[in-house]
Amino acid sequence: MATVSLQNLRKTYGKTEVLHGLSLDVADGEFVVLVGPSGCGKSTTLRMIAGLEDVSGGEVRIGGQVVNHLEPKDRNIAMVFQNYAIYPHMTVRKNIGFGLRRAKMPAADKARRIEEVAAILSMTDYLDRKPAQLSGGQRQRVAIGRAMVRDPAVFLFDEPLSNLDAQLRSQMRLEIKKLHQRMHTTIVFVTHDQVEAMTMADRIVIMKDGHIQQVGTPAEVFHQPANIFVAQFIGAPSMNLLAGQAVAGSITVAGRSLARDAGQTGPITVGIRPDDLRVTDGPSSFEGRVVLLEPLGAETLAYVDIGGQEVVARADGRNPPALGAVVQLHVAPENLHLFDGDGKAVE
Amino acid sequence: MSLYRNLSIRQKQVVWAWGFLALPIVFYCVIRFYPTFNAIVLSFQSWNLLGPREWVGLDNYAKLWDDPVFWKAFRNTFMYLILGTPISLVISFVIAYHLDKTKLLHGTLRALYFLPFLTSTVAMAWVWRWFYQPVPIGLFNNFLASMGIAQIDFLNSTSNALPSILLPAIWAGLGFQIIIFMAGLRAIPTSYYEAARIDGVSTWTILWEITLPLLKPTIVFLVVFSSIGFLRIFDQVFNMTTNNPGGPLDSTKPLVLMIYQTAFSSFDMGYAAAQTVVLFAILLVVSLIQLRVLREKP
Repeated sequence: MATVSLQNLRKTYGKTEVLHGLSLDVADGEFVVLVGPSGCGKSTTLRMIAGLEDVSGGEVRIGGQVVNHLEPKDRNIAMVFQNYAIYPHMTVRKNIGFGLRRAKMPAADKARRIEEVAAILSMTDYLDRKPAQLSGGQRQRVAIGRAMVRDPAVFLFDEPLSNLDAQLRSQMRLEIKKLHQRMHTTIVFVTHDQVEAMTMADRIVIMKDGHIQQVGTPAEVFHQPANIFVAQFIGAPSMNLLAGQAVAGSITVAGRSLARDAGQTGPITVGIRPDDLRVTDGPSSFEGRVVLLEPLGAETLAYVDIGGQEVVARADGRNPPALGAVVQLHVAPENLHLFDGDGKAVE
Repeated sequence: MSLYRNLSIRQKQVVWAWGFLALPIVFYCVIRFYPTFNAIVLSFQSWNLLGPREWVGLDNYAKLWDDPVFWKAFRNTFMYLILGTPISLVISFVIAYHLDKTKLLHGTLRALYFLPFLTSTVAMAWVWRWFYQPVPIGLFNNFLASMGIAQIDFLNSTSNALPSILLPAIWAGLGFQIIIFMAGLRAIPTSYYEAARIDGVSTWTILWEITLPLLKPTIVFLVVFSSIGFLRIFDQVFNMTTNNPGGPLDSTKPLVLMIYQTAFSSFDMGYAAAQTVVLFAILLVVSLIQLRVLREKP
């Protein structure tokens, strides 16, 4: 068990800087997810924590100790790779045991430890199989088992679920979360999937272009996004963004005036989550024509054209509006997200 | 046309498949299989290339059995194989393993190693033949003499000649083997090595337990390929010992050279065919044994 601390972490390849001074503190036993689009530097950050990439500037501390110049093996970490990195010519037992090669313990203890880990992952019956005889999810478990067997201070996961199909992915998501609740090991998990980040993390770190955009609990980053990027990245479907004008005490959007004090005047970007924008019969905020319908079962997503801007709103799944119909949309003013000209959230 | 139209999709696929296969099949039958079977038949006959063929039963094989030159050539051929294959594989693996990790001048180095493979064997053999000459012509002996070391009889000694010929043969094949080994090494995902680094196992363990087992298909291919190459060695020997092919005293003569001489110097076609059949059998058996021994257990 250990804390992980990044201080002003930088990474350059030649003249190109890809991480621009990242600072982050991961508490002991915390599950932190780094999320962001491809090329945002999340995997590089993880690999620098692991010691697989050199640190160009700043510090990586694990358990309070600066590990910048320590070999991966001396950092007391374990890593699960996207392609699992389990050896095809070795049995599950040998694969899991590979992590114990360097451990100074009697062979009997090692064998018992492998059995224990296999039991936790329900892989006992598969110990003598080769990876080719396992399903994707089982291979994933072997990879996790190999990481667990050494009882490391920190677990690092590099997009471990992206090679699995959708159903298996959500199942493994749960299993990893359960595993964390049981073992309370510090976990740093990298993914590009915001749903994975939201469902698993204690705290989410949203990254873009080598900068941290926001660090917060899933609820914080969803309800109080720090900027337009976070607002659009977290949540599906993406937040609607509309151009508005703020005046004292109200905001004009798509020709309608909404009662909300922006604390400033002038042009402003208004964000509305599709969940907060409902097709309604009652008092309405906007009026528009339905241009597309996406039935999801319980709900239907309605794409509505309001004054030349298209927004996504939620409608009842049983009584969806008709295509081409003119509908009323309602949003509570307190649910508006406001962003200034630089894309930063307005308090 | 209506006949074709009435066929099922499967039948049409079969028709097309056989249509495309027809040419290679004809080629193989005329150029490969017919001569092969003809050679087997010929090995039971006597023929001087011009006169009629006469059946002689097993006479050619009996002659072969009693021919000391054949056994000498047989032994030489296996010396080329037993020395050549492991030495060339170990050298090419060591080079490929390190070249794979070298970033500086990687492309140039790889090209330099591959160059001999592109060069004509005959030209190469003659250059090496020059290297091996005594003072004042040969490069190696000039060097030895300048250092005050006694000259070495490279090609004129019955004990030195075979290794001296084998050396350029190994060198010529290295480029190809290095390229294949490097392709095999590249195919191993880097995350395997990264995982091993995190687990902290030694470089030696990584080499023996990860790299080499995962290279097994590559190694099987190269062992079989290189063995066949050494069992069929001819050009190097013929060109480096032209004034007395296979000499001195048959000490470098491989089976293929003996076959060539029997056929085109002595014009004893039947006897040459019998030798060919034996060589064919050896190649077949060696390849099958290697495949069986090295093949991955299911």
